[in-house]
Amino acid sequence: MHEPLFSACIRGAGAVLSLARTTLDGVQARRGKDAPLAYPETAYELPVAFGLTELRVTTLSGAGAVLDLARTLIREGATAENAMDAGAATLLAADVLGALSHENGNPYPPPSVGFVPDSVLRKLGIFMVDGSVPGVAVVIGNAADPAAAAAMVRHFQEIGLLVFLAGEVTGQMGAQGVKLGEDFKTFPLGPLPAVIHAVNFAVRAGLTFGGIGRGQAQAMLSYLGNRVKAFVCALGPLDDVALAIAAGAMKAGLTVLADEAVPEIPGLLLSRPAGEEMALAGMEARGIKVKWVKLPVPIAFGPAFEGERIRKSDTHVEFGGGRSAAFELVRMSPPEEVRDREITVSGTDLRGLPKGTILPLAIVVRVAGSRMQKDFESVLERRIHRIVNYGEGTMHVAQRDTTWIRISTEAVEKGFTLSDLGMMLYAKLHADFENIVDKVAVTILTREKDVAAGLSEARAAYAERDARARTLTDDAVSEFYSCTLCQSFAPNHVCIVSPERLGLCGAINWLDGKAGFEITPTGPNQPVEKGAVLDPVKGAFGGINDFVRQHSRNTVREMNLYSIMDAPMTSCGCFECILAIIPEANGVMAVNREFAGQETPCGMGFSTLAGSVGGGVQTPGFMGVGKHYLLSRKFLGAEGGLARVVWMTKEMKEQLGPALRERAAEIGIPDLVDKIADETVAVTPEQLVSHMETVGHPALSLPPLL
Amino acid sequence: MTVSPSIPTFPGRILEVTLPAGPGGSPVVVGGQNALPLLPEGDHPHAPAVGMEIRTGPEELPPALAEVIGPFSGNPAALAQKCVSGWGARFLFLSLSGCNPDAGGQGVQDGAAIVREVLAATATPVIVGGCGDEDVDGRLFPAVAEAATRPVFLSYAEEKNYRLVAGAALAYGHGVVSWSPIDINIAKQINLLLADLGFPGERVLIDPLTGGLGYGLEYTYSIVERVRLAGLSGDAMLARPILCHLGDAWKAREASDASEPGWGDSALRGRRWEEATGLACLAAGADLLVCRHPENVKRLSEAAWR
Ligand code: SF4
Ligand SMILES: [Zn+2]
Repeated sequence: MHEPLFSACIRGAGAVLSLARTTLDGVQARRGKDAPLAYPETAYELPVAFGLTELRVTTLSGAGAVLDLARTLIREGATAENAMDAGAATLLAADVLGALSHENGNPYPPPSVGFVPDSVLRKLGIFMVDGSVPGVAVVIGNAADPAAAAAMVRHFQEIGLLVFLAGEVTGQMGAQGVKLGEDFKTFPLGPLPAVIHAVNFAVRAGLTFGGIGRGQAQAMLSYLGNRVKAFVCALGPLDDVALAIAAGAMKAGLTVLADEAVPEIPGLLLSRPAGEEMALAGMEARGIKVKWVKLPVPIAFGPAFEGERIRKSDTHVEFGGGRSAAFELVRMSPPEEVRDREITVSGTDLRGLPKGTILPLAIVVRVAGSRMQKDFESVLERRIHRIVNYGEGTMHVAQRDTTWIRISTEAVEKGFTLSDLGMMLYAKLHADFENIVDKVAVTILTREKDVAAGLSEARAAYAERDARARTLTDDAVSEFYSCTLCQSFAPNHVCIVSPERLGLCGAINWLDGKAGFEITPTGPNQPVEKGAVLDPVKGAFGGINDFVRQHSRNTVREMNLYSIMDAPMTSCGCFECILAIIPEANGVMAVNREFAGQETPCGMGFSTLAGSVGGGVQTPGFMGVGKHYLLSRKFLGAEGGLARVVWMTKEMKEQLGPALRERAAEIGIPDLVDKIADETVAVTPEQLVSHMETVGHPALSLPPLL
Repeated sequence: MTVSPSIPTFPGRILEVTLPAGPGGSPVVVGGQNALPLLPEGDHPHAPAVGMEIRTGPEELPPALAEVIGPFSGNPAALAQKCVSGWGARFLFLSLSGCNPDAGGQGVQDGAAIVREVLAATATPVIVGGCGDEDVDGRLFPAVAEAATRPVFLSYAEEKNYRLVAGAALAYGHGVVSWSPIDINIAKQINLLLADLGFPGERVLIDPLTGGLGYGLEYTYSIVERVRLAGLSGDAMLARPILCHLGDAWKAREASDASEPGWGDSALRGRRWEEATGLACLAAGADLLVCRHPENVKRLSEAAWR
């Protein structure tokens, strides 16, 4: 069904080429073949030829060579490839025509500008590299509804796109009062053929900012396709010539959107009504995202408020925290089911509520993105905690269906509403996960029955997620992730984060590492191939060793993931708890950061121990870990696992809670937790050993540690 | 017993970077080495270069500087000439501090005009530094990049603004100084990001942030060493010349406080403070030093013997 389209492109290319040939011949007859030919104020001759061919064009005869080459690109046969090549030929020929028309400067009456000089390109290009100009919209043709087209162009201007206009639409926009000119980054180029100046602008951007040299056609096409986030809005009926130009744009990877019916080519040629829908489709196809400079919410927002607690007396409205049903859920959805920036609040909102109101709450965030993965749902969901706390007057505690949110009286007085809360989530999730999410929609419900219905769906989602987490094991995946964030103060420290061993700070698990890598591919989280399994019990892997060696700059030659005695992981300083061996007891003790006491069986409290463990060095017998590592099946595999733990602070036992008992039961020692001593039972090795003998601690019968 | 010292050889080599000069001036070329600084082994095609800083904003000069550069205050072009022909600076670091709203508040166009004046006054390579105000610098770098009549280096590109600074440099053919806050990973990341943008590596310098003696010098020392070792070990993103800006040395009270006679002559103290900071940076691996005291151009250049 595309054949007629492709044929039209090829016909159009032929027409442009013959026009260029006739025009060139005419000028040559008048000025001679050696007469100079150039655009005004550019270092790039005829830019399209400069970027895509080896030809050097300084004279009319040089332009003839470009047309000869273009001719070879036009082939019969209505295939996509032929059509795109015909498109490239069209651009080459149109640039010759463009240059010929500029013999005496800009040939068009104002406000049309014709060729855009290098000086403007350099100025604007900076903002394209910088991202403050997030993309380029080329609007061509004749709008059937000029007002709708004007609204669309104004929308482009608002989000900072660079806009080129060519064809009747130029005059139409002027008549609609759309502001034109460099200050508005909107360039009326001239009649339809002048659209070539948008093309040669883009090509020169590649030459100037992409480090691409003359004639590097492949590099140029890939730059245009991947870096110049441009799309074409073609308004009104498309004749052969317009289609040939569109084919040229598609050859360079640009998306063309037509408001007439066209046979679509996914990603390249789409049919959309002019207006918001066309704008959104173009931006989505080219991955153009809009950044918020300031959040449109009535309260201050930022990390400065993260630590703010809202006391009961300052609380105006409260959700969850055991007082009402409440949950939060992030779900990945297919792109067609998520309308970006849709924030829905259903049920009572904050305005006019009496102080002390308690309401049920459901927060459901739907996200879509080409690089989004289901596994990242939990990573985004946990970010809700921080985002809500960023608000001045909003507080968030816990997660999932234990979430607890307070809104202060001051915030409500400032006019803060639940849709503002939705806006905070929307904008910040977009910003923080820019590389992962393309669309975010937030739904907030406060009706009892809606929340109850949502809750069962949410619980099913949590259960599914937990089940998935259980299948994510060190043995099942081939890649772990590194974290080198702490190298800023522990220069040679490398955390290796595996599904069954989280970062020692407790803040980074394997999924976070994975998401971190997607968000910042050059950042501290890098995928690390496990490589050869050298010892599955100790956790010795060839790939991990290579990585750690390289990234510790040769100071850590080997690292066993599941051992405290034999080449253990280094410790930076932010460990949640410290494991230390007690040789007399043939086991290890665990002390958490919050433990303030100095009395432990190894003779040191947390802070003293931390001083000797940290700094990014391997200290066999001592190791900083994340608390949850104690619950892992891979916990100290080399030394016999959880059964090695002979002492643990009371607080840590409480924090690990039932999960610790479950894990003890799993290894067949259901009463292990009670056999593990704490500070109320033993603070010296002697007391510890006698306790162990009394209760029959299993570590006593494990192989000697030393 | 004779002990033969093991001489390490490295697989990597630091990228050669040229700071271009104007007509008749001498460009500064640094980098190209495949060994640690000052040691006899390995290739060291270019000795480190010592340049001087010129600031445009009003400031109260420490006694040691007041004597020598005080007379030039408010006349950056004259100071530039003096730095080069009188004091032997091989390059200039022009800090447009005067554009900071808190320090003079010159307009962006004034800053650009100063750059043009200084470039006209001397043919020596120039690095242009921003004013430190994020907002202003966002407008200043593009303006400077456009105004500069010959290629300069823009300082600096950091995680927040690297796209803008790199864009401005690409648009007009300048180089950039990549900056990181005493953090080797960020140093690497910013260079990776620049490379991702397609910024040519041979137009990038690394500024690891130099703390003065007594105020973080030891951290800088260690980072410079590690960046250099990583570069020599084959990490291409860190195999770049390092610029140490000694300006922070003057922030130490010991370098400027004249009210402590017991500490000795304050002018001499200040000069020595900067010199000591510079010597440490050289030993750690710096390729370019920016100092403020004319005497130190001479002393540090002598120390930078290879
Ligand atoms: S402690 Fe946490 S933040 Fe630091 S390197 Fe390890 S995982 Fe990363
Ligand atoms: Zn850490």
